[in-house]
Amino acid sequence: MFGYVRPPQDLPEEELKRFGRAYCGLCHALGERYGTAARFILNYDFTFLAILLSEKEEGSIHHGRCAAHPVHGRERLESSPALALAADESVILAYWQARDGVEDHDRFHGLKYRGASAVLERAYRKAAKARPEFDVSTRCQLNRLAELERENCPSMDRAADTFAVLLQGAAQAVNEPVRRRVLEQIFYHLGRWVYLVDAADDLKKDAASGNYNPVALRYGLTDGVWTEEARQSFAATLDHSIHMMATAFELWDFGVWTPVLETTLYTGLFRVGKAVLDGTFRGGGNKRETQEKNT
Amino acid sequence: MNDPYQVLGISESATDDEVKRAYRELARKYHPDNYHDNPLADLAQEKMKEINAAYEEINKRRSGGGRTTGASYAGGWQQSYGSGGSSSVFQQVRAAIQMGDIARAEALLNNTGDHNAEWNFLKGAVCYRRGWMDEAMRYYQTACQMEPNNPEYQRALNLMRNGSPYRPGGEPFGTLCAGNPCLTLCCAYTLCNGGYCCFI
Repeated sequence: MFGYVRPPQDLPEEELKRFGRAYCGLCHALGERYGTAARFILNYDFTFLAILLSEKEEGSIHHGRCAAHPVHGRERLESSPALALAADESVILAYWQARDGVEDHDRFHGLKYRGASAVLERAYRKAAKARPEFDVSTRCQLNRLAELERENCPSMDRAADTFAVLLQGAAQAVNEPVRRRVLEQIFYHLGRWVYLVDAADDLKKDAASGNYNPVALRYGLTDGVWTEEARQSFAATLDHSIHMMATAFELWDFGVWTPVLETTLYTGLFRVGKAVLDGTFRGGGNKRETQEKNT
Repeated sequence: MNDPYQVLGISESATDDEVKRAYRELARKYHPDNYHDNPLADLAQEKMKEINAAYEEINKRRSGGGRTTGASYAGGWQQSYGSGGSSSVFQQVRAAIQMGDIARAEALLNNTGDHNAEWNFLKGAVCYRRGWMDEAMRYYQTACQMEPNNPEYQRALNLMRNGSPYRPGGEPFGTLCAGNPCLTLCCAYTLCNGGYCCFI
């Protein structure tokens, strides 16, 4: 489910560095709060979550070494309430994603996920205690999704709504009402977009394994092959969610993060969506590898 | 009131042309069409008011306090859920949507047996508010098929089809035209509106 939101590579150097500082800041916050093992859940998607939850200014910047950069070290954001929140929510999301993997796979293939969730177990218990509302709503939405999968629900909006509402919950802890409304809208449609893009990316795999795929059901696709009409209609629905994110984004001042967010919303997401639809996005098990290579 | 130059994102030394351009760009961004049926439309409306007031204030200052130009986007925000020559149930649905009470609107619709064009239109509006964009599109399409000459239904469908009227810099965009090489190709099969839309 994760690995689709990424900053466009043609972002100005200065902005990529800023993004890098948020990435390292979140990694550090994960390590500080949950121990080294939890750092492995870090990805670009969670960094975006952290940026969206961040204050308008970067705050103080720290230069330090870590296991990944032992010699020269890296610049990173100092811990902040926003990074702590993002770290807690990331742990909960990653844990449930891993659990979902255990249930989705047969005994042998589930091993990888089982291993991941055992490592995360302790971190998760701590995060769930720190953010009980987010934990409860996450569990509730994943149960809803499991039920829809059992029913073989043909509505992709209904299926996507589960992950969208789940991600929307990440804004619960924001106090300022306008900012919360803006973030809720962005998170909802980001969740919807991620869910749908992920389903589109898995079309062939799911067709082969017989797994639930709401996009295939919605358009009546066989063997995971797009018809031109379905492809265009699906692209339109992705664009509608991006439009909703962009219109929400314009209603709040994200300060220094504006260029990164603007480029991602108005360019990056379209590119990923197109690559997935064209089959040129390296999907499935390679998502993480692709991401690491780009780091 | 905030500094009007700051609101438009320009310096006090900006030329009249630059003022106008900055105003137009922002007015395009927060235009009612860009926020049609959007659950955050009220916030965009506030922004628009602020921008209009800033533009008028700058013009007033520059013309020595006498003349005001009258900003052009003052109207257009009345989304017409209060209207319609509809049955009392549909009027209640419209009122609920207007109030932002989507759950009530949906419950009322689900209790209505007659799935006529207006029912489909209102169902589409409820789905859109909720973020169920695929179903919103399909209900709007059904409403338009059942009553092809209804301007209210047609407008809702067109706004969805034409996509986002705003993007920084005004270039066309969309999932099917992401990446430069295909931009021209894309527009060959668009239902273009003012050159901004790029999908379908």
